[in-house]
Amino acid sequence: MTHKSKLIKLLAVLFAFTLVAAACGDDDGGDSSASSSDEVTLTAEGGSLLETVQERGTLNCGVSGAAVAFSTLDPSGNMVGFDADFCRAVAAAVLGDAEAVNFVALTAAERFTAVQSGDIDVLMRNTTWTQSRDTDVGMDFGPTTYYDGQQLMGKASDGFSGSSTVADLDGATICTNAGTTTEKNIGDAAEAAGITINLQTYEDFDIVTDNFISGACDVVTTDGSALVGRKAQQQPEGEEWVIFPGAPISKEPLGPTYGQNDSQWADVVNWTVYATIIASEKGINSSNASSVVGNDSFDAEAQRLMGGEGELQSLMGLSADAFQQVISQVGNYDEIYSRNLNPVGLTRDGSSNAGWEDGGLIYAPPAR
Amino acid sequence: MNEIELSNPAKLPETPKRSIGEWVKSNLFSNIPNTVLTIVFGFLALYSIKGLLGFILSGERRWAAVATNMRLLMAQGYPANQFIRVWFTLGCLMVLTGISLAIWRSNGVLKIKRIGTWVLNLGLGAAIFASLAPVSANARGGWLIATAVLLLLGYFLKIGSDKSMLPDDVPTVWFSFGCLAVLVLSLWTVPYGHYAFTDGELIAESGRTVAMSTKLPFTVMLLLLIGAFMLAEVARGLVHIPKAKIVLSSLWLLSPFVLNWIVLRDPDFDYGRVFSTDIPIGLLFIGFGFLVLYPLTNPSIGEKGRLVAIALLMFAAFNWIAAFFGLYPMLQKVRISFLLLALAALLAPNFAADNRTRLRFISFWAGFIIVLHWLITAINSPSTLDLQGPTYLGGFSLTLFVAVLTLLLSFPLGVLLALGRTSSMPIARVLCTVYIESVRGVPLITILFFFSNILPLFLPAGMEIAELAAIVTGYTLFSAAYLAENVRGGLQSVMRGQYEAADAIGLTTSQRTGFIVIPQALRVSIPPLVGQAIGVFKETSLVAIVGAFDILRIAAYVVPAQTEFLGVKREGLLLISVIYFAVAFSMSKYSQKLEERVGLGER
Repeated sequence: MTHKSKLIKLLAVLFAFTLVAAACGDDDGGDSSASSSDEVTLTAEGGSLLETVQERGTLNCGVSGAAVAFSTLDPSGNMVGFDADFCRAVAAAVLGDAEAVNFVALTAAERFTAVQSGDIDVLMRNTTWTQSRDTDVGMDFGPTTYYDGQQLMGKASDGFSGSSTVADLDGATICTNAGTTTEKNIGDAAEAAGITINLQTYEDFDIVTDNFISGACDVVTTDGSALVGRKAQQQPEGEEWVIFPGAPISKEPLGPTYGQNDSQWADVVNWTVYATIIASEKGINSSNASSVVGNDSFDAEAQRLMGGEGELQSLMGLSADAFQQVISQVGNYDEIYSRNLNPVGLTRDGSSNAGWEDGGLIYAPPAR
Repeated sequence: MNEIELSNPAKLPETPKRSIGEWVKSNLFSNIPNTVLTIVFGFLALYSIKGLLGFILSGERRWAAVATNMRLLMAQGYPANQFIRVWFTLGCLMVLTGISLAIWRSNGVLKIKRIGTWVLNLGLGAAIFASLAPVSANARGGWLIATAVLLLLGYFLKIGSDKSMLPDDVPTVWFSFGCLAVLVLSLWTVPYGHYAFTDGELIAESGRTVAMSTKLPFTVMLLLLIGAFMLAEVARGLVHIPKAKIVLSSLWLLSPFVLNWIVLRDPDFDYGRVFSTDIPIGLLFIGFGFLVLYPLTNPSIGEKGRLVAIALLMFAAFNWIAAFFGLYPMLQKVRISFLLLALAALLAPNFAADNRTRLRFISFWAGFIIVLHWLITAINSPSTLDLQGPTYLGGFSLTLFVAVLTLLLSFPLGVLLALGRTSSMPIARVLCTVYIESVRGVPLITILFFFSNILPLFLPAGMEIAELAAIVTGYTLFSAAYLAENVRGGLQSVMRGQYEAADAIGLTTSQRTGFIVIPQALRVSIPPLVGQAIGVFKETSLVAIVGAFDILRIAAYVVPAQTEFLGVKREGLLLISVIYFAVAFSMSKYSQKLEERVGLGER
């Protein structure tokens, strides 16, 4: 009997405790981590990611972490590069602090899952904008920040020159890294030109380059930006590497990527990119950005963009001086480009990434 | 009696002394095939050494890439102004090591003669280096001098101890301290990482200091180690040794959690919340634990208590299931605590005894809850550090973190799984078998990817799993399945008679398992378990697949992507292979020691 009553008492205590615990939980609205899962659902349920990011105080930005000149870790562990700077630009626009970025290094396999699951707010991981990615995987693409394209690199001593074409590759050993679209592109190009090539693939492009240097590969192929970097850093003395053809064999527009159907967030990211481009056109840079407003030597559009009269940033849910912060903390497009891509030998002049006034493709709609 | 005498090395017949010439003749040139083998492999070895030295010292190597990125390789983006935390962590470990060395009385000795042999071998190595390395004539001369000095020193040590000019042996501990001191002293004099080899000449590179910034902290670390050891030697007579051992063991067990989540991560506690929610919940569970566990440990309730435990367990399980449907908003901590309380209740009848034992069991529960709630609160609090990236650790520290935590957590889980699989209870057996077989059937990469990327999609609102926690959880579950099979091998080697004898003297099942079966099973499983530990350590490099920056990813992909060191990959890979080898080899050496101590392979 006594045992039974003890057991009943125990169960009663247990029941009472459950009620207390459940009540506790209710008061509290769940875990301390509840807010972060709200982020996940917010985009799907109508509210904008913009408010979530502003509330959180940091921007989760997906990058590669190992893409030469686009996003790499410097020796003290800071994320640097072209993509990393555009992460900082978005953070400066949304939060007013270019350093309020939480960089998430993603592998190629992970990047789309990370966007879908809401782990990251924006993906700056030199991802090519393609129709299938735009429709399939629940993502939207922003304005292209870098126009890349697949090219080939050969040695001048083998008779290649800047004006060589795919047709000159008959019988050559061409190397590239495995598992990318570059493999397919060069195969298609060779077929179209009616030549036979010997295609060899290696684990990564470091090994490809080593084989190119040792002579095991006649020609290597990958995105033009990477080839220029390799040429700048690894071309041995007394040897001349040439990159051809002038018109790349594939189109690789790279730009920001974010979750689907969040128009407000898309506007913020897109116009941050546009602001850097317009600033570049108008001669606004990191040193003069703070003195544009009220300065008559800048036109009305520049004034508006930097938060002067008639500014439109407030309508987007940003502070009036959001883009002024972007330019003064991170720089305009030309500054970002020169800082990160000039050291590896990529110049804007004459490339697709020159401003539209100079015959390039970098163009922004007017800020009015 | 005979056996004991046999195991005493002093009574074993002495191995006859042989001169080096005789040894070489009988081992290397005993017959024609052996002679051919010796010559062929001798040349092969010399050729590979020459190739390796040529590779390391070649002018094409850019060791500056490694030296400049040493911080990245070791701690990735850990904020430089917070590095004191890293040193504090290391200091804690040094103090613990020092005290443990004294308490566990590591009074091993090293024969001077043996040290002499090592020095002679070093001299031989220097001789090989001097003759094969592609260095300038001056450098070669330097190496020849070093060879001569080492050979003379080794010879002196050997002869000196023979002629009893020197003591016979030195304590191993002090010998190790001495070696470490030499290393640390060399930091003050040799500017490591200052140099680059160009065409066999040493070229000083300015601004590439590695050792210079770390020499002071490393000196402090060494002093801490030695100081803690000496203090503990003194205090040894004043404390109760078995108790000290228990305290030290728990400190060691706690240290990875506390050092990582509290010291390195520096949680930003929200004190209002801590006082309004966290502390009351903790107290509630302590009180509730008392209310449940005290009656359940009453011997007169006996096995009926398990019914309550099972009710509690079902309730705890219901909480988890409900969470997946978003039914019961409840603190994660409460759910975890309920589950643990249910498990403790399930164990409680085994601790049924007099009041003192019962209270000790409950105070253990209270301490456990305090530590657990503190850790959970710390993990849930944001970090105050200005961190770049989701994981506050990277590089070698991440590798160590994942390996240590995984081993620590998967060991008990693996033993439980092994017991479950060999148990006579069909449900436990089937569950454990299904778990082990299904986890072993899936590649580690898949599991890591699932835990890091897919699981967050399924988690309901209010549940989140941090990147590092996801990695460690997935890896633990994976490693436990393999560990279980290793332990099961050990379990099967325990003779039937041992079980019967335990039953005959009236031990309960848990006593039999805990005191008779497990110790014997683990003793036999040491070699495969250490093999597994080494595997776990090395396979941590797979965490790169889910975006974490472990040392391999940094060396293989991050450093070669830096504009300054584009494509400089081999240097980093060589360095980390040395690091991996050093850790794995020490583990293997330790296991050999352990096997010797428990007398494995002698019967």
